[in-house]
Amino acid sequence: MSRVVVIGAGLAGLVAANRLAAGGAKVVLLSKGLGGLQLGQGTIDVFGYAPERVSNPIRTVQALPGTHPYTRVGATNLLAGLAYLKELVPDLLVGDPEANYQLPTAVGAIRPTCLAQPSMVAGNLGAGDRVVIVGLRQLKDFHPQLVAENLARTDLPSGGRAKVRHLLVDFPAREGEIDSSALTYARAFDDPGVRERFARAFIGELESDEIVGLPAVLGVSDPNAWRHVAEKLGHPVFEIPLPPPSVPGIRLNEALTASAKAAGVRFVPGTRVFDFRASDRRVGSVTIAVEPAGREFAADAFVLAGGGFESGALELDSHGRVRETLFGLPLEGADAVPLIHGDYWGGEQPLFTVGVRVGSDLKPLDASGKPVYDNLWAAGGIIAGSAGWAEKCGDGIALASAMAAADSILKELS
Amino acid sequence: MTEVNDRPATTAKAGLEFAGHELSRASLDSCVKCTICETQCPVSAVTPLFTGPKFIGPQAERFRNGESVDHSLDYCSSCGTCTLVCPQGVQVAELNSQARAVMKADHMPIRDRLVSQTTLMGKLMTPVAPLARWALGNKPIRTLMEAAVKVHRDAPMPPAQSQTFQSWFASRPRPATVPTRGTLVFFHGCAGGYFEVETSKKTVEVLEHLGYEVLVPRQGCCGLAQQSNGLFDEATASVLKLCDDLRSSGKDLTIISSSGSCTGMLKHEAHEIMGVSDDRLADVGTRIRDTMEFLLDLHDAGELPTDFAPMPMTVPYHAPCQLKSQGIGKPALEVLRLIPELTVVDSEKVCCGIAGTYGLKKEKYEIAQAVGRPLFEMVKATNPDLALCDTETCRWQIEQSSGVKTVHPIWMIHAAYGLG
Amino acid sequence: MRKLAVDVVVIGGGSTGAGVVRDVAMRGYSTVLVERADLGQGTTGRFHGLLHSGGRYVVSDPLSATECAQENAILSRIQAGAIETTGGYFVCCPGDDPAFADKFLAGAAATGVPAREVSVGEALRNEPRLNPGITRAIEVQDGTVDGWQLVWGAANSARHYGAEILTYHAVTKIDTADGAVTAVHCTDLKRGEDVVIETGFVLNCGGPWAGQIAAMAGAHPVDVVPGRGIMIAMNHRLVNRVVNRCIYPADGDILVPVHTVSIIGTTDVKVDDPDHLAIEPDEVQQMLDAGEVLIPGFRNSRALHAWAGARPLIKDNRVAAADTRHMSRGMAVIDHTERDGLDGMLTIGGGKLTTYRLMAEHIVDAMCDKLGEKRACRTAEEDMPPSGAGKNYVVTHRLEEREHDRFTEQIICECELMSRKMLTDALAAQPNGSFDDLRRQLRLGMGPCQGGFCSMRATGIALETGHIDIERATALLRLFLKNRWLGLWPILYGDQVRQTALDNWIFAGTLDVEHLPPPDPSVRPEPEIEKKTPVAAVMEAGVRS
Repeated sequence: MSRVVVIGAGLAGLVAANRLAAGGAKVVLLSKGLGGLQLGQGTIDVFGYAPERVSNPIRTVQALPGTHPYTRVGATNLLAGLAYLKELVPDLLVGDPEANYQLPTAVGAIRPTCLAQPSMVAGNLGAGDRVVIVGLRQLKDFHPQLVAENLARTDLPSGGRAKVRHLLVDFPAREGEIDSSALTYARAFDDPGVRERFARAFIGELESDEIVGLPAVLGVSDPNAWRHVAEKLGHPVFEIPLPPPSVPGIRLNEALTASAKAAGVRFVPGTRVFDFRASDRRVGSVTIAVEPAGREFAADAFVLAGGGFESGALELDSHGRVRETLFGLPLEGADAVPLIHGDYWGGEQPLFTVGVRVGSDLKPLDASGKPVYDNLWAAGGIIAGSAGWAEKCGDGIALASAMAAADSILKELS
Repeated sequence: MTEVNDRPATTAKAGLEFAGHELSRASLDSCVKCTICETQCPVSAVTPLFTGPKFIGPQAERFRNGESVDHSLDYCSSCGTCTLVCPQGVQVAELNSQARAVMKADHMPIRDRLVSQTTLMGKLMTPVAPLARWALGNKPIRTLMEAAVKVHRDAPMPPAQSQTFQSWFASRPRPATVPTRGTLVFFHGCAGGYFEVETSKKTVEVLEHLGYEVLVPRQGCCGLAQQSNGLFDEATASVLKLCDDLRSSGKDLTIISSSGSCTGMLKHEAHEIMGVSDDRLADVGTRIRDTMEFLLDLHDAGELPTDFAPMPMTVPYHAPCQLKSQGIGKPALEVLRLIPELTVVDSEKVCCGIAGTYGLKKEKYEIAQAVGRPLFEMVKATNPDLALCDTETCRWQIEQSSGVKTVHPIWMIHAAYGLG
Repeated sequence: MRKLAVDVVVIGGGSTGAGVVRDVAMRGYSTVLVERADLGQGTTGRFHGLLHSGGRYVVSDPLSATECAQENAILSRIQAGAIETTGGYFVCCPGDDPAFADKFLAGAAATGVPAREVSVGEALRNEPRLNPGITRAIEVQDGTVDGWQLVWGAANSARHYGAEILTYHAVTKIDTADGAVTAVHCTDLKRGEDVVIETGFVLNCGGPWAGQIAAMAGAHPVDVVPGRGIMIAMNHRLVNRVVNRCIYPADGDILVPVHTVSIIGTTDVKVDDPDHLAIEPDEVQQMLDAGEVLIPGFRNSRALHAWAGARPLIKDNRVAAADTRHMSRGMAVIDHTERDGLDGMLTIGGGKLTTYRLMAEHIVDAMCDKLGEKRACRTAEEDMPPSGAGKNYVVTHRLEEREHDRFTEQIICECELMSRKMLTDALAAQPNGSFDDLRRQLRLGMGPCQGGFCSMRATGIALETGHIDIERATALLRLFLKNRWLGLWPILYGDQVRQTALDNWIFAGTLDVEHLPPPDPSVRPEPEIEKKTPVAAVMEAGVRS
């Protein structure tokens, strides 16, 4: 059986590991800690702004110019990845590659995304919708008035405006706690009794036909918690993602991790991969930083899916030099001048588009266009060309590149 | 990560100074406040009394200088989950252990001294095991103990044995098989020497079955319990003494231990938490392997016989925190999968609650029980008769709280090889 | 138009102006302080936070040394809450002439600056990160000071004595008649209203902007030579005492632990205009190199934020104007009667924050002389509320407070342990304030995440208090993010890049802040906050290079 080491446990790493294990490889997943899914919004972005708001993401991807990472990974892999992901976590993601949802954020902006959690999609508002945003007094990361009043003054992408008001409910997640995290609430909402008490706490204040917007804390283990709340309220309910810790992200992370483990993936978390051995353009092993002497993992193929600057997979030192910290791979865009500009609202910082250049089989390439190592693949945020945040395309790139890399490995090793 | 000058800190005072000034801040700069550590913290999950690993770790550390003002950090159980899950490489748990040691330096409760003297407790109890067992199981006496030293009356205590491992090893008949694979050193740890004698015996018998000669030098305590209670001077002396003990059997020999937490102390905690920087520790730390880790390495190298007898049963398995912190994943899961017809169900629970000696303490007992409750439920539901776990205190906790007999995974291997 | 009449108008809300208005008020004059931005937003809020022991000047400027030593003792007593008595070291680094330490000790003895040589071993034990190659170490009584608390303390004390403090009031004109000042005109920038203050005396405490103020009264140009210095705040206290290099004062020779951070400073470059202060990349590199000499590994530790300040030096003809360091740090009072034939105005320049109280005493003495009145200065005798004679600040304060109120208060800024109540109290006191105004008092957004997690919370809470509406709340959030970036991007490397990536992920990614609706012109005119206030212009210009 072929051995594959996947480095990184974000969306790209988890999807690659799942796919590889399902394809018969013996997979070890090495990660420094929990992956990035907990830090994001818990939906799957494909393309949100180009730079105008996108309504059909797959069509936008198909029309991209040659420098964008999507042109390397391909729309076919993207579509396959979206379908595969929905299969892996059937309870958690819904949506259509041909149509973005336009969903409210926790400051009241309207954000395009492609696949969303079922608990969120009632937030895809239309003109004249009556909405009430409900906050929790003990949750400091969600301010219903801010969301409601910004939403109310927003022209909806589909035209018109919604009529939005807000409520603040005094509902502690735990007795005696004033400062509860989103996750503490989500754990509380896994309990049906808590959900019923919560619904009773403000049902009397709802007006007819109102859609209820809530912070994304409606259960973490129970995928039907939000349905139960909606049922008890007798109103449609939608969840709004919060800054980290993101409960929708935790749900995705847990589901993808569980499916990977079930498929036989061996997890070794808590350690940074800091070194490797290679000969004849092939990586032989990688070494993790465990005290006192490190530990080597040999394999036939390696997937680098450790993210970009946010995880330290890419690093900018105090002299202005950028490097990929594990394999020292050649980087695209690292010599841009300036790498960073001083205008916060002035468009994507060139620094955050730096990454490795990959071929269509997702192997990192050297300056001459040849793979740096014949058995090294890259997926996700490490790929050059887009930071993802502004275009809202990071998840799609991670997904498509992980699919393409996994399929390429399975083909080569079979 | 910030580079700090890694000065030798082998004396106790230096160890505390190290904790106060140096390593505690080394990884602080890596924190980006993402809060992932708090989402996984087993103590935060069950009580608002604990402000959480991010708060007491990289956050509060920026405000510390001299006198301790944040005594709530003592709710940290040192389970190490925060360090394990941090995607930025912050050594949250180590930082917290150091802050706690500095805090306690001035006013160490007697209880923290008593529960951390594991060898002493074992030595005292062995000759009078029936009495000790009766005393520990006796509610009025436990209640007295709770009043005197604040160890909770329902807390799990070690099961005293009538024979130590060392006395078994010395007095048993020589093994019949001739060693063909070389020599290993066995480190049994305090629990494995005095309380978990059966686990030690089975480990040695499996290793000998595989063709190894097993040496067992006289050996003391690794000092982990002292370290986790902030007694860095005693712990440092203990761990270095142990290194001398283990090195006395010979150079370059692999050292095997079935005590996952003591292994963690030797591999990384003594260095990372107390700043012990000593060649003897580095040598032992490099050579020591957890038993199941060792078996998995053999299997990866194609050298583990898999002529296991089928064991048609389903058992729950819980990976202890201190094992997970070693960066080896869950080797027991991989090895047990090789036994035909055995279904091992990973508990997927963060912590059993005991965290060494945390769950023994009166004011922490309820928290520790709440931490472990989902695990206890899972264990009972999966198999009411048997559960598996790699470290002693966790096994005692699971067994005491769920009523399910809990053994080291080597018991299954031992049985599957037909060794008894 | 609003009209006021007072005995004395103080122009400038830095430490000098705040000290002066307090002194004027305590001597029984009616007075108003006008400041074009927030208090302490110029030089006072843009320095490294050192409360001098005097050690720095024992060789180069003995008079300043003695004054610093005396004022250090006074301020540590009367403004205890703003000052941490950290102590300090002067250390000879590898390559520095160890003999300078002898000159230093002799100078200290001569100027009355307490100083004591300690063993290198003791210094390294107390400050384990110090360069182990230091050859000598001298202990002094340096402290650190929160410039904003200091200036607010003085302003509040002045209010107690009847003074009025008008922030966001820009002086537009100074009227004179018959060779004397008669009135000061200003614009209330928040309300867009003109204010005229009739007065017989103006004390010009504009610091680097003093020349521009004097010109409004028709005085001959006052030659202020702004000396620009950049400072970088590092993520945590790399040292717990002030660490100075024991050399003749030079660039990058001091590391100051202030609150939770340590600040390396500073450069000194002559600039023409204090409103245009760049943070040049080569100066950043120079600071990092200097840090490396004091603390090996400095470059690998985390830098959080950089800023530039302008020293208010008055030109001294004895030295070339380009070399501002060797100009006297002593204060200079310009008497416009003699110089310009203009009565009723004094301009003060030079000095340093440590001696701000003494400077005020001098200029107010000079004013009393001109007015022919004898009114004694009492500012050294009286503690300032709220924490005047209490305990000195220590870095553990907030941790201790949160330990006690953790079951009743939310923590809004987690990096700097700022509670919800601290924020709502400050909002109630300054309902028109921007988040940067609140930041200066509360340290909101000044920790490692640089606003990544607290900005949205602060916005939501500000809106909920009812002091501002949604358009202003949203505009304030956007302005805060923009302003944080100004001090971030010049030092963006290493760990702070990971933080910035996460912050971008939150704001651009999850929250999509960029696509919040713009202000609606049909509802009301563009909120004034989006217009460039003078200081926003300063900050923006400060990094345009």
